[in-house]
Amino acid sequence: MLSKLLKYELKATGRIFLPLFVALLMFAGITRFISPPMGPEKWAAPAMISMFVYICIMAGIFVMTFIMMIQRFNKNLLSDEGYLMFTLPVKAWKHIVSKLFVSMLWMITSGIVAFISVLIIALEKGDITKFTEAFATFYDQAFEQLGASIYFLSFEIIIGILVSLASGILIVYASIAIGHLINEHKMLASFGAFIILSTLSQFLFILISFIPGGAYFSNVNISSYNDFISMQWLIQTVMAYGIIFTGLLSAAFFAVTNLILSKRLNLE
Amino acid sequence: MPWELKSDRPIYTQLIEHIQLSIFSGVYPLGSKLPSGRDMAQEASVNPNTMQKALVKLEEDGLIITHRTSGRSITEDARMLEMAKTKLAQDQISEFLGKMQLMGFDQKEILTIINNMVKEMKK
Amino acid sequence: MSTIFECTDLTKKFGSKVAVSGVNLKLERGQIVGLLGPNGSGKSTIIKLANELLTPTSGTILIGGKKPGIETKKIVSYLPERTYLNDWMRVHQIIEFFSDFYPDFKPKKAYDMLKSLKIDANDRLKTMSKGTKEKVQLILVMSREAELYLLDEPIGGVDPAARDYILQTILGNYNENATVIISTHLISDIENILDYVVFINQGKVVMTSSVDDIRAEKGKSVDGLFREVFKC
Repeated sequence: MLSKLLKYELKATGRIFLPLFVALLMFAGITRFISPPMGPEKWAAPAMISMFVYICIMAGIFVMTFIMMIQRFNKNLLSDEGYLMFTLPVKAWKHIVSKLFVSMLWMITSGIVAFISVLIIALEKGDITKFTEAFATFYDQAFEQLGASIYFLSFEIIIGILVSLASGILIVYASIAIGHLINEHKMLASFGAFIILSTLSQFLFILISFIPGGAYFSNVNISSYNDFISMQWLIQTVMAYGIIFTGLLSAAFFAVTNLILSKRLNLE
Repeated sequence: MPWELKSDRPIYTQLIEHIQLSIFSGVYPLGSKLPSGRDMAQEASVNPNTMQKALVKLEEDGLIITHRTSGRSITEDARMLEMAKTKLAQDQISEFLGKMQLMGFDQKEILTIINNMVKEMKK
Repeated sequence: MSTIFECTDLTKKFGSKVAVSGVNLKLERGQIVGLLGPNGSGKSTIIKLANELLTPTSGTILIGGKKPGIETKKIVSYLPERTYLNDWMRVHQIIEFFSDFYPDFKPKKAYDMLKSLKIDANDRLKTMSKGTKEKVQLILVMSREAELYLLDEPIGGVDPAARDYILQTILGNYNENATVIISTHLISDIENILDYVVFINQGKVVMTSSVDDIRAEKGKSVDGLFREVFKC
């Protein structure tokens, strides 16, 4: 059932994002090819227009990922369409997971597509070679200093990004769900809930640093490259704690959302 | 015959009357096969359970026979049919006569009115 | 089990407002039942409780002996009063959607009905009139081989010809294993097809009776009785 929900979620959202991605890449290409020095000089003005359109689309995609994240949850689950979704023989948590996953997917994909579009515009001949050379040098140096833990660090960073992304989306879901509990001014209530939840999260985060041994973290003082290397395990540990904390927070937001959707649903 | 059901009388009774009339008037000839209860219910736009009850009653009265494997059919007993027809006529007439009496007509007056009207009846 | 729908002391409160109060109801399979009552009487609340769109404050509601949940959603086919379909889909896409999530959904039946009502399966729901959308929704609901059909105002927004078609479809779909509960105001149109009616007012069951019992005892149609009982 979850895979089916994912399928429909992708269909519903893809029809918005895919054309935008295509447009972005297209205008990146157009800008690239009509801008001097590649294109003739007299096309400098249209080139600027093309660049302008490109930037607008880029901004549009950025905005759209946020709008879609909110709208898919709010419209598809908590308005009229909710009558369809919640009478499907599917548990509430699967709805949350499918939307979370697809939102994250589009956010990451948008980032990748944006990056590619920038390359299309700005990449010069020989850039790739320069870049791969620089990367190889960086990698060798890093490996020399950090050893195999470079993989662990990279892994941590990736997980960290994913968990933070999930947490950011789940706090929005939880806020919308809490707002749904109030009969009037649901949007206002959701906004209020968001503020409260964010503040609470910040507060908890600060609280964490007061736990025994936490004081040690505030003494982390990276003033030089050598410090970075020697503090390496410390950084990894701090990151790990950060990931665990964010993960627990995400789980809490998820639990609240799930509880409201399964036990306190009240579609009008 | 179109199923015209009035809204202030039980549907069950009206269904029985309608089917009886259809049998008497030959719409459902003697011995012929009846459509299934469900089909008849759809035709009449009524609840299948109500139609079923009506058919069961008509079975009890002997007008309809259920065959184990081939559904329902009208009885082939012509004499029984005549008897049922006559009974229905008698019921209608006694209701009519009761009303006439209430209005104050005597036997002779009633017969005169009836005779005149029968003569004008279409053949 | 032969009891497909059972409410025991079912109560639902929204804060201090009581929407459904101590409702006791037991419906067997193979029946077509009318849930009748004025606006705000609790009909829609009971139907939402049956679909797990609301949870009871107290008391129980059982579908085929089970509490509302995934197992009951598999056997309940629900037609809400509103248009609840994703606007951007085409008709054939929503049919695929239903096929995907409901094993008892019969696409062929749906396509046949669409053809009878002259609805193009390629049309987008967004471009359809409200009446057509409601017909599509009804077709989807009736194309499932469910054990309990919950129809909330199925003929409300449709023209009289389509109403007849809808009633014929409900009758044609009838089987002894399934029960249809119709909640509506348009009583005179549907009373002929009902076994029982349940009158609800202010969250309580006021009366249950067969259509014929009402006609025999009160000498009037269910519609007539309703107007009398719920006179404003």
